Amino acid sequence: MARTLAMFTDTSLCIGCRACQVACKQWNELPMEEPQWTGSYQNHVHFTDKTYRLVRFIEKPQPNGELQWLLMSDVCKHCAQAGCLDACPTGAIHRTEYGTVNINQDVCNGCRYCVSSCPFGVVAFNHDTGRANKCTFCNDRIHNGLGPACAKTCPTESIQFGFRDDLAAKAEKRVVKLREMGYKNAQLYGADTNGPLGGLNAFFLLLDKPSTYNLPEKPLLPQRNVLVDSVLAVGAALLVGVSAMVAFRERGGKGDGDA
Amino acid sequence: MLRNPGWHLLIVWYFFLGGIAGGAYFTAAIADTFGGSRDRNVVRTGYILSLLMIGICGMLLILDLGTPSRFMNMLRSFKFWDPMSIGAWMLGVFGVFAFLSSALSLSADQGKAALRRKISLIGTIFGFFLASYTGVLLSATALPFWSDARLMGALFLASGASTGMAAISLLLYLSGDSAGEGFKKVKRADRFAILFEMVVLILFLVLLGSAAAPLTSGHLAPLFWGGLVVLGLVIPLAIDLLGGRWVPAVVPAVLVLVGGFILRYVIVMTHA
Repeated sequence: MARTLAMFTDTSLCIGCRACQVACKQWNELPMEEPQWTGSYQNHVHFTDKTYRLVRFIEKPQPNGELQWLLMSDVCKHCAQAGCLDACPTGAIHRTEYGTVNINQDVCNGCRYCVSSCPFGVVAFNHDTGRANKCTFCNDRIHNGLGPACAKTCPTESIQFGFRDDLAAKAEKRVVKLREMGYKNAQLYGADTNGPLGGLNAFFLLLDKPSTYNLPEKPLLPQRNVLVDSVLAVGAALLVGVSAMVAFRERGGKGDGDA
Repeated sequence: MLRNPGWHLLIVWYFFLGGIAGGAYFTAAIADTFGGSRDRNVVRTGYILSLLMIGICGMLLILDLGTPSRFMNMLRSFKFWDPMSIGAWMLGVFGVFAFLSSALSLSADQGKAALRRKISLIGTIFGFFLASYTGVLLSATALPFWSDARLMGALFLASGASTGMAAISLLLYLSGDSAGEGFKKVKRADRFAILFEMVVLILFLVLLGSAAAPLTSGHLAPLFWGGLVVLGLVIPLAIDLLGGRWVPAVVPAVLVLVGGFILRYVIVMTHA
């Protein structure tokens, strides 16, 4: 496996220009969608099967009554332990040699299990093609020595592309600097490979706690539930089985064996 | 921000009929091994019902796919930790067992009966699996309302047992066999299954805590309380316990089946 690639999104540099969103649409040939007025500059409300990059415009009330704008260009996290990948029964969702997570459109049969298995609600079902869609990390571009379209186009280098270890070291320095500058809540999200989901290959520098950005504080792998649930189901099966046995047992001994 | 898969009625029917297939099979297998000759109709009805249901289930699963022509892709990989993957494999394996048991139940031959019981003993494991894995599948997602309680698999199993037994009693009734010993025994077994389902449902709601709100007070809450709890569990159990000579013997079975469908419906269709 090649050295793991990553995207580092430094939200402190984002100016909300949405060039990443447009570049993503253009490179991946994703059709436009009707904008939705929700009282915010943000469009769309969430990722769709046609929107893989999305600038979130978070309005945070300040003690003095004013609003603080927190901007964040959000994307598939390409988790090191990916719920969608573990859920996929066809093997369409796979890990590439660069450590990213991709959906093979030639294999996906549209069962939609990955959609509900993503801890971030990224994967979306495409009703036109009958398959699941999400950010590809511009797989075609990175195989040809180009960075993802969103990172390439970002005018403030809020989105950076490179080797994961290099970017994580850079991010550590940046968060220290921001704290010195007075951004007390500056923190990394998903940069630590020992953290939740084994680290995210698209990780973030946030200026506030993750929940402010509608991100789970501690994302969990959905498949963690399978073992306990199965053991309890086996217990239930034993109880039901024994009770049915009692109900059917012939009084005064064993059945007469006649079928 | 989490996302619901947007599964619709085909999956609700699959969860419901899969429960009946599993429940009817293990009920028949237990009657086959522990019952007597007077339970023969239960055994035959259960096996054949389960085989038919498995056939319908397979078609529902294929039709529900976004790209149905690619259903064979389910068999490209085998992931033992992934309910969706094992489920697809096991449905096929269970189908083979249900076919063998059904075919062997048509003959009155002693040797074939012994072979059938051996086959059914193994098949029972797959029957229990099919009735419960759909619940485990839902709990292995990121949605809190599906995944916060550890009892979805047990709840689906209990419901699969009660609906499987109810479906057998309904078929016995329709074929004019409701006076027999087998009919009484299925009803006796179903009584425990309904009671057990109620206990598991209460534990399930307690464990879910605040995550249960979409189910217990959401837009489908009237269906949950009225359709599942009252109509599908409390009333059939009450009729059964009170002797219920004033209602036809088939009424509780029909109510249990309706309740079992509503259980799957409210769980799949509540978009929290």
